[in-house]
This record gives sequence, structure tokens and C-alpha cells, in this order.
Amino acid sequence: MLETEELSKAFKGKTVVEGVSLYLEKGESVGLLGPNGAGKSTTISMISSLMKPTSGEVLLHGENVIKNPGKIRKVLGVVPQDIALYQELTAYENLKFFGRIYGLKGQMLTEKIKEVFSLVGLTDRQGDILNTFSGGMKRRVNIAAALLHDPEILIMDEPTVGIDPQSRSYILDMIRELNLQKGITVLYTSHYMEEVERLCDRVYIMDHGKIISSGTKEELKSILSGEETILMELDRAYPEMEKEFQQLDSIRQVIETEKGLKLISVKGSRLLSSLFQIADRHEAQVTNVNIQEPSLEDVFLHLTGRKLRD
Amino acid sequence: MKSIFILQLQRFRRKPLLVVSFFVLTLFFVFFLGGNDTGDKITIQSYAGDNTTQEQADYWIQLLNASESFEFVLVEEEEARNSIVQGDRNMALEIRDDDYRMLVAVDEQSYQIAANYIQQVFTEELRLAAAEAAVEEENIRAAIAEERISPVLALNMETINGESSGFVYDENLQALFGMTLFFSIYTIIFSLSNVAEEKRDGTWNRLIVSPLQKWQVYAGHVAYCFLVGYLQIILIFIFFKYMLGFQIEAHFGILMIIVACFTFTIVSVGMLLIGLVTSPQQLQAVIPITATAMAMLGGAFWPVEIVTNEVIVMLSKVMPMYYGMEALKGAALLNQSLGEITGALSILVLMGVITMGIGINLMERRA
Repeated sequence: MLETEELSKAFKGKTVVEGVSLYLEKGESVGLLGPNGAGKSTTISMISSLMKPTSGEVLLHGENVIKNPGKIRKVLGVVPQDIALYQELTAYENLKFFGRIYGLKGQMLTEKIKEVFSLVGLTDRQGDILNTFSGGMKRRVNIAAALLHDPEILIMDEPTVGIDPQSRSYILDMIRELNLQKGITVLYTSHYMEEVERLCDRVYIMDHGKIISSGTKEELKSILSGEETILMELDRAYPEMEKEFQQLDSIRQVIETEKGLKLISVKGSRLLSSLFQIADRHEAQVTNVNIQEPSLEDVFLHLTGRKLRD
Repeated sequence: MKSIFILQLQRFRRKPLLVVSFFVLTLFFVFFLGGNDTGDKITIQSYAGDNTTQEQADYWIQLLNASESFEFVLVEEEEARNSIVQGDRNMALEIRDDDYRMLVAVDEQSYQIAANYIQQVFTEELRLAAAEAAVEEENIRAAIAEERISPVLALNMETINGESSGFVYDENLQALFGMTLFFSIYTIIFSLSNVAEEKRDGTWNRLIVSPLQKWQVYAGHVAYCFLVGYLQIILIFIFFKYMLGFQIEAHFGILMIIVACFTFTIVSVGMLLIGLVTSPQQLQAVIPITATAMAMLGGAFWPVEIVTNEVIVMLSKVMPMYYGMEALKGAALLNQSLGEITGALSILVLMGVITMGIGINLMERRA
């Protein structure tokens, strides 16, 4: 349905996106995962025709739309990272304006506005000035404005940045519903691994302007099929003990976390007794130990050597 | 375009303070700079210098009082000097037998105009006296006055706007036109700063990825700012003409055309500024500098005719304000027709087209 071929973008000689090729099938929910500065926003700016690529193609149903962006603009709903709304107007006035620019008018416009307000759960607040809304509510209106014209493809650029967990959860459920029940194809960019894991069928992982890996969540996790993650919660940091863990043959990586240590180890290596012995020697107080299957975060760490939010 | 235009009107309805404040400021400034002097003459205290008789001083006072703008009153030298020292008067005139001297506290606009007038009266009278003495003919003055009705040679001054009869000044209209155009620059460019704000807030990008054409987005903003600026100027003209009785002799249709050309050019200058700056904050810093510079150089605060510095006169010729003021004064004071002010209007429109083109180009390059 939508495809990019070797999409690249350079600003003043500096390449920020290089050779990005990805595709979206109808009804899919695809994640574009990567840390800040990975090139996700630039990539979707090029896909949504906001920015012309330095090289490469954007194909909609096999047709290159870079020179004729009108076609893709009609079928795209773009949710920008910023709350791109008019703060001094009411939520209703905002949606009425965005509906109008997509050619909706009269009864149809009124009905669509009603429908999307119901979808984002803001029917009661539609007459209020946007400035009086909380961050989460503004984000919901931001999404609603992209849904008025029934887009075939919804491109969302980190739509949950800076909001409370409750609003985030509401938004994620809403997107999943749009994807599953209305069949809207979703391209979702985020640096929150758990969001992509919850929403997306397939994932592209980007770093330094390139796609470094892609596949279904299971395919990506299988990269780490020979590994397991041990989360060890401690009362405080023990640098000497950490060094000793790193010297163990079965340990691939030791990462400090807020609560203790994250150990990537060879699957089935039966390390626990050794770990406890070392902890005992250092008089470390272990408050919890948890053995986990690898997450996308672990995959990213494995591929790039750093965390998503570094 | 229509959607963008309506949106801007809605935003204005919610935040009218900026536009309204500039409208009120214009009324306030014009009223106090021009309105309080309606019909009044500027009084200039005069006194007889050493070796000047009372009769000679009276004679010069009689000649000087032919002016519609100034009233010369004969007082004692001490009184005239005291008035200046105490700040009651800005200038005084010392009348001598065949010469004069001016005492000046501040070299400001009314002094320049009075000095020009006094010099003109003295030069003319002394020439007449010299001619009288040379031909020894008593009624030469009457003969010259008669000749003036149908002169052998007519001396006309040519300006870029066409023919004019020379420097004509009306303090009320100078204040009205100058202040109105000056504050309209603020209204127009501050309204246009919506473009810079939209680019910062991301709504601009949202419009670009919609089915709207880019020109429609620009046109919507330009049309809104044009309307706001245009209405502000026209409403102020109507208020002062019909409510306060300012003598605007021009056909109102001509004034509307002049205002349209000026407003278009200022909107274009605003687009250029938006193209040059990188943030709304920078734009807000640049607007007062630009507006004041354009007004000072372009003759909004005082007539360019009284400026003697050639560089400043030259600079005034690249200011839209200059052509706006020239066209308005030409139409309102000299009763010039549309044809006679076409030159100034053409330059205004040309400036508008060029600055609009450069401004949009700069914005697009940055996008």
C-alpha cells in the first residue's frame, strides 16, 4: 500500500536519513522505533510529503508521489509530535477548521466532528477553549484532527510525549481500536518500546538515520533467543560486585538500572547460585530477582549497544 | 484560502486586544498631535530689533500676517525672550529694518516651517523694494500683482508624482496620515506574525500536509492582514473626516486606492521580515525598529520636504511610507487626481511585489 525505497535526506551536507526502505500493508500497524535523533521524524516528514527527500522514492499503491503529493495528502492522517492546534479556539472550532481544509462541510462535517469527539472521549469538552485542556486532552484533540477525513493511513509521530500514564493508556487503546476495528493502517513512531510492543504488528528499528533491523516483534526478539534477562534489585549500588558479574563467562552484558542491575546472560546457564554467592560475598542486599524473556528494548540494546532513551 | 482567512478572523475574535490597541493608539496620537490644533494658527512673538522703528516693525508684521498658518504679534524683546526661557514659546522673531533674526529654543518641525515662511516673505518684499527703487515707479507692486495673474513664464515644480504647486503643509493631515500609516504597520505585521507562530507551533506543517495548496495558505494569511490593516486606516480616516471635521479634500475612492496599495506593500514587507527572522520573538523585536525607521525616514512624523540631509532624503525614497504619504498628501492637500499619483502608487505596488516575492522565497528555502 505505502512503500519507501532508499529514502535519504541530507541537511547542509549532513546525512540524517540514509537509505530507508520500508513498507506498510493495508490494515497493518507498523512501529518505527528508535532513540531521539534517530531520524524517525525526518522519515515520516518525507513520507507525509512535508519534506522532499534528497534521494529515494515514496510509493503509494506503486505510484511515486514525491512530485505529486496531492494523492498521498488525501489519504493520510498525520498526527504531529507537537500539539499543532490553535490554542485560543475551542476544540470544536479547531476540528471544524481541519475538517474544512479536507473538504468536509455542512452536515457531513458536523457528523464527523461528533464522531471523532466521541472516539477520543471529549464530547463533553468540545465547546471549551483548548488552552484550558490538560496535556493528555490536547493530545487527544491532536489525534482527532487527523481522523476527520477518514484517512486510510494514520502516521503518528510520538503522539504520547509528555502526558500522564492514564491518558497514554487511553490513547494507545484508541489507536489499537482504530487499527483493528476500522482497518486504518498505522505507522507509529516512538522511542517508548512498550508502546510499540503493545500497538504494532511489525517494527522497524532505526538508529543514526538507518534502519538497523525489522520484522515482527517475535522475529526481532528471536535475535536474542539464546539469551535471557535477569533483573536483580538491590538496596544500593555495588560497583565491585558489578565488575565481578561481568567476569562471569555466561554474562554478556551488565547494565545499571534505577533499582539495581540488568544482566543479559546465555539462556539456561543456571547462573543464579553463582550470582547469589557473589552478592553474599559483597554483603549486598538483594531485594528481588526476576528472569525475563528479551524485550524490544533488549533487542535495541543488543543491536546498538545503548538504551532507547540514551 | 477561505478557510485560512476565516480561521484568522476567528482567532482575532478571541484575541482582539492587539489590533484594537493599535487602533486606539492611532486615534489618541492623531487627536493630540493634530486634532487639538484644528483651525488654530501658531503664534510667533516678534519684537523690533535695534535701530528698527515701530512703523517698520508694524509693516513687516502686516506682511507676515498674510499667512494662514502663523500669527505674528509684536511684543517687547524682554517678553519674547522670557517666553522662550520659560518654555512658553519655542521661537521668537527679531524684526530689523531689512533683515530678521530668529531666537529658537528647539529646532523642531514648526520652526522649520516658520523659518521657511519668514524667509520667503522677507526675500519677496526686499526684491520688490529693490525693483521699486530701480525703476522708480510707484505702482510697480500693482503691476507685478497683475502680472502674476497671467505670468509670462509659469514656474512649476515637478515631483515624481507629477506636477505640484510646491510644498504645502497641513499639520492636521500630516498627523492624521503619518500616525495612521505608522500604527497600521504595527497592526499589519503583528497580525502577520501569526505565520511565524504557526511555523513554531507546528500548525503550519499540518496545513502543508493537507490537501490545501501552499499558495492558498499564504493567500489566506495575506488577505486577513490586508483586511485588518486596510480597515484600520479607512475607519480612522472616516472618523477624523466625518466626526472631527478634518479637511480631507480628496475623493474618498482615491484615498481607498492609495490605502490599498500602501497596505499591500506593508503586508509584503511583513512577509519579507518573516522570511528573514527565525522565530516569532525575533520578529517582535524587529517590528518596532522597522516601523519606526520607515516612519521617520518616510515622512510620517514630519514632512520630508523640511529634511536637508541628502542621505536621509535619498533613504526616504526607498521607504513605502514616503510614497504612501506623498500620495495621500497629494490627493488630500493638492487635490491631485488618480492619474497624478499613479507614479507613487506604482512604486508602492512594485515594492510590494518585490518584497513579497523575496519574503516567500526566503520562507520556502527555510522550510
